[in-house]
Amino acid sequence: MTPFRTSYWHIEPVWVFYLLAAVAVVVFLFGLFAHVSVWVRGIRRQTLPFSWRGISNLFLDGFLGRRIFKGDIAAGTMHLLILWGFLGLFVGTVLISVDYWVYHFLKGAFYIWYSAGLEILGLMLTAGLIWSLIRRYLQRVPRLERRFEDLAVVVFLLLVVLSGFAVEGLRLAAQRQEWARWSFVGHWLSLLWVHPQGALAAYPYLWWVHAFLSLGLIAFIPYCKLFHILAAPTSIYLENQPPQAIPVETRSPDDEVFSYRDMIFFDACTRCGRCVEVCPSTGAGEPFSPRDFIVWARENLLRKYHPLNYFTWLTRWANHRHTSEQGFDPQKIWHCTTCRACLDVCPVYVATQDAIRQARSKIIEEGIQVPSLLTQTLKNLYKYDNPWEATKKKRAQWSQDLEIPDFSETEEAEGLCYFVGCTTSMDIRAQKLARSFAWILKHVQIPFGTLGKREPCCGDIARRAGEDGLFEKQMEDCVELFDRYRIREVVTSSPHCFNTLQNEYPAFQALKPPEEQANFQVRHYTQLLRELVKVGSLWFENPLHVTVTYHDPCYLGRYNQVFDAPREVITAIPGVTLVEMAHNRANSLCCGGGGDRVWQENLDADVKMAEIRIREAEATGAEILITACPLCLIMLEDARKTTSLEHTLQVMDLNEFVQMALSLEHIPGEQSVRRR
Amino acid sequence: MNIVVCVKQVPEVTDAELEINREGTEILKEDLEFDINEWDNYAVEEAVLIKEAHGGKVTVVTLGDEDCEDVLRTALAMGADEAIRIDEQGFEFSDAAGIAQGLYHAVRDVPFDLLLTGAQGSDDGWAQVGLTLAELLGISYASLVVGVEIGEGTITVHRELESNTQEKVEMPLPAALTIQTGINNPRYVSIMGIQKVRRIEIKETGSKELGLSEAEIGSQGSSVASQKLSLPPVGEGAEILTGSLDEICEKTAQIIRDKGGVM
Ligand code: SF4
Ligand code: SF4
Repeated sequence: MTPFRTSYWHIEPVWVFYLLAAVAVVVFLFGLFAHVSVWVRGIRRQTLPFSWRGISNLFLDGFLGRRIFKGDIAAGTMHLLILWGFLGLFVGTVLISVDYWVYHFLKGAFYIWYSAGLEILGLMLTAGLIWSLIRRYLQRVPRLERRFEDLAVVVFLLLVVLSGFAVEGLRLAAQRQEWARWSFVGHWLSLLWVHPQGALAAYPYLWWVHAFLSLGLIAFIPYCKLFHILAAPTSIYLENQPPQAIPVETRSPDDEVFSYRDMIFFDACTRCGRCVEVCPSTGAGEPFSPRDFIVWARENLLRKYHPLNYFTWLTRWANHRHTSEQGFDPQKIWHCTTCRACLDVCPVYVATQDAIRQARSKIIEEGIQVPSLLTQTLKNLYKYDNPWEATKKKRAQWSQDLEIPDFSETEEAEGLCYFVGCTTSMDIRAQKLARSFAWILKHVQIPFGTLGKREPCCGDIARRAGEDGLFEKQMEDCVELFDRYRIREVVTSSPHCFNTLQNEYPAFQALKPPEEQANFQVRHYTQLLRELVKVGSLWFENPLHVTVTYHDPCYLGRYNQVFDAPREVITAIPGVTLVEMAHNRANSLCCGGGGDRVWQENLDADVKMAEIRIREAEATGAEILITACPLCLIMLEDARKTTSLEHTLQVMDLNEFVQMALSLEHIPGEQSVRRR
Repeated sequence: MNIVVCVKQVPEVTDAELEINREGTEILKEDLEFDINEWDNYAVEEAVLIKEAHGGKVTVVTLGDEDCEDVLRTALAMGADEAIRIDEQGFEFSDAAGIAQGLYHAVRDVPFDLLLTGAQGSDDGWAQVGLTLAELLGISYASLVVGVEIGEGTITVHRELESNTQEKVEMPLPAALTIQTGINNPRYVSIMGIQKVRRIEIKETGSKELGLSEAEIGSQGSSVASQKLSLPPVGEGAEILTGSLDEICEKTAQIIRDKGGVM
């Protein structure tokens, strides 16, 4: 006899099943509709072209779980077991319907393979689910939460598979078909039933239980964290869409501050906690965690735009319920240093730092809850073009005795424009790095100049605070100045200026007619130094026997992938030994200066982020900690004092280090050491 | 509760190196940044807070040139509803009384329950305009207000007195208050906020429209006239130390030691 599949064997009345299925689908669709009605409220100013890159990411990150494996192979494997098991069983079930309704093909050898395949998928799913419970409740992996939902979802899924196996076992026990052993799990279970009659009697009941659970699961998906099944692939697909620029002028008061992508990202979040693990703010014991923010934002948006808001009493009830809960305090968003570590590890590309920026822009727009020191900073930025209450005149004071050409006093700039930046220009400690850089440029005889006291703020500080109107104004000032003095080549001291000029400006410039768009190239000084080393104009005669370590600034490393340039410059100096800290490159730990934290009231917990970082540097045994950002320099220099490491560890900007190496006295003995 | 707030645009002087023209009649303004007078900023915030709690309308008034529209826009962005600018032509040499005359003529037809001004201006520092204006309007007033409670047809205000004491006064409405800094936390005005109010029309008026004669305002109507401006001479005993940071520290320490500060 050819093996074949029997559907609805001994199940009566079948229409009840269809009715239930219809109800489940309606409940599912309504839940989906609720999420989508939030998504469409998000601000959107871009068309979504079809993207092959998106599709390939979908395959790699979605189907193969590339980012889940990153740094946690156990989690990756567990998730793949569940994902493939779930997807496979889903497809298997769809095939049954096709077989029943459209074309009967589940027979013969194919059916045998099909049965065996489904057994394996079921086992994978079961194993994955049990493993997930072990990780959460026995191993107690620290980043995982143990809320009711976390347990309920897994148990629910587990009940669905296990009841599936049980139903199969009963059916096989009753049918006793010769091909049953291919459904090996069901077959093994069927052996528990000695009497086919008993099995047949129990079978319909268990069938209904399984049907009920399975349909319930479908209906339940949009209402629990399983919704990531739909939102995560969407978010992964959207990940590489270019950033949207939404000029303040084009915003209307009813526009949501979050973009449609933020909203999809929020829905994709599975609360896996990887972001919490890497967040420097959470790590330093501050009352902030990216996951809490994401969950808060998601719940708020869902409540705000829920289709059931049509019924006002429901809204009132929901709001009431919410206010009685302990939620996330929106004031906490000022803790985020926008270091981007969370995005780097998030399996579904949730860009918390961007969403935080949007949320800040709301607070800035309302104006009432802006932290008072930040209010002062922003006012200063508007008036003086720098975050300190200092007249513009002071901006060029660091270079008074250096005879650097001031491009703003010429007709046309000749050579490289050194964009010094606010912090580097005005902070006494950071000014030293500017002086070193100018010294190096003179040493290698590269013609350069600055914009003197007319150099504006690039807009980074306003941008991080969410004061987008000010950012746009400062961007226009910058672009206009570059244009007026025909500046084509810009080099910055600060990774923050570099990132703003390089990555934030273009989207806004693209909105202008081509002839009005900015036309300059920007590099960070580390890139320039590396190039000078490469072409041979920067070389070091004398060895410097010292062990150093390098701190990757977030906006240089994670934001712009500049990891090698500074390291190549350091190692080009003979005699220098470069050792790495526990957290380095993409994994670097933020110094705590980003995200406008330096211009706010004290947000620190008992230990400062910079102190944690400097301890890591100390642990390497290095004598000098080198960095390439004025903010990192200030923060780490401070931490060095508060941790009493003044005598063990020096903090230097790469420019200062290079200048030191170039200024070494020639010691004949040393040379011969090298030759040997 | 309808509220009128009188505001003024002033130069920022905290960190500026002020220069006076050769004739000694004017402070050079090219390098200065302008902003709303700090006390007035608190007054606007207070008005908006009262409006948010009790309803009504807030009207802001300023006397100044076209650039002073900026302070009106700032006030509108904070939540004021209407704005009036009295052109400064004719008022150039007015003293506090002349300015109060201008404001009086502009606000007397605006129905209001409360009139707020800053306690003083950070530039001239007269601290007279608000009170003179209240006299002209013939309404009760209180100065240096650090707290306002709205009652039925009355208000209770807290006034700041010397050595950390406060006076609590009940007053009938309408009333005029001059607001002291620290009474509230003025909100941040973002560029987005200013964008949003850019379409609100600012009512323009001037000494002519208000029917003010030269005898009432300007140098003729003033009893105070500026003679000459000069920077205060560097006082006796003040010494500006020069040199590197280390040298300055060394010298400072020496001075303290010489004067017997450290034994
Ligand atoms: S934001 Fe990303 S990393 Fe953080 S909990 Fe959600 S899914 Fe995990
Ligand atoms: S950007 Fe950095 S500080 Fe901000 S939430 Fe992410 S990990 Fe935390």
